[in-house]
Amino acid sequence: MQTLALCIVVAVALAFDFVNGFHDAANSIATVVSTRVLSPRFAVAWAAFFNFAAFLIFGTHVANTIANDVVDQSVISIGLIFAALLGAIAWNLITFFLGLPTSSSHALIGGMAGAAVAKAGFGVLVWEGLRTIAVFIVLAPLAGLAASFVMMMIVLWSVHRSKKVERLNRGFRHLQLVSAGAYSLGHGANDAQKTMGVILALLIATGHAGKNADVPLWVVLGAHTAIALGTLTGGWRIVKTMGSKLTRIKPVGGVCAESAAAGMLFFTSAQGIPVSTTHTITGGIVGVGASQRLAAVRWGVAGRVVWAWVFTIPGAALMAAAAYGILKAF
Amino acid sequence: MDRRAVFFLGSALVCLLLVPLTPTDLRWFALAVAGVYLLLAAGSALDNRSRRRRPPRPR
Repeated sequence: MQTLALCIVVAVALAFDFVNGFHDAANSIATVVSTRVLSPRFAVAWAAFFNFAAFLIFGTHVANTIANDVVDQSVISIGLIFAALLGAIAWNLITFFLGLPTSSSHALIGGMAGAAVAKAGFGVLVWEGLRTIAVFIVLAPLAGLAASFVMMMIVLWSVHRSKKVERLNRGFRHLQLVSAGAYSLGHGANDAQKTMGVILALLIATGHAGKNADVPLWVVLGAHTAIALGTLTGGWRIVKTMGSKLTRIKPVGGVCAESAAAGMLFFTSAQGIPVSTTHTITGGIVGVGASQRLAAVRWGVAGRVVWAWVFTIPGAALMAAAAYGILKAF
Repeated sequence: MDRRAVFFLGSALVCLLLVPLTPTDLRWFALAVAGVYLLLAAGSALDNRSRRRRPPRPR
């Protein structure tokens, strides 16, 4: 019976990863599609390939953080993880239908925290781990913004005398393939690992893995396959918000935004910090807009996005706590 | 004052406020981002000032 329940929850975790790909991975191709470098169909295939290929390059530091540094391992059970996933999936679907680029990662972390609090109170939260995650909720998009702004300045300064901005954009159209690929690689590395972390926590809790065990290969491959398939299915509402509503992006801006976000994701993945890929690319896009002039950024849309971020962890936590309460009643 | 410089100064302040909350081994990162924002704020303010002082172009 326990094995069946475990299999069901692992399947739900992989479904979450699929929804994550569907919901988040659209960010990596928003600029490529909005600048018409690739057709939507090829763009999603491109992103999905790099999402999957990420497992060859990055370790599993982020997965270990999720498994050990969010809630006390002693409290983790199949029901808790199931409730956490239900809360996070519900939050993701609501924000998806509202067209808001919120973070699946923070929904997952909020879901785990909410279900754990509903089960055993606030004492089971690992505050140090949560504090690091909270710091990088703010720091990751700010660093992405600064990096993309600086990159834009360097590029624009290097061509300012010749005034060949249009030719520059033509040249950067194809470079966007590289930057979008790099961003998708970072996205696959950071986001797929969150699901791996949840499954690892589940395997440890049920005695199928040792306390300090590494993520099994089948989990790594399963998580990357699920996120890649989700990306392949696409999430067009968010592509629209990210690619055109926030600020108008040209190829040179797309390259700078994606490269800055990719650099940030590589760094945080190497450090084992789960960050929101959505937040990071949003910071990059706003940085590009701000390099033209602040008015180029649609601050109303950006503000709506920020509010969605603020409510993600408490919103997902509440839903997961409710899900845990319902599961417990049955 | 230049709005962009104010925005960058605000961002630098946020990064500096995050330094004590950041794990010790990653504090350099928060400090570096704050430093970049301070440089950007200074650069943006100077750019804005030079634009204002530039005489209008003859038509």
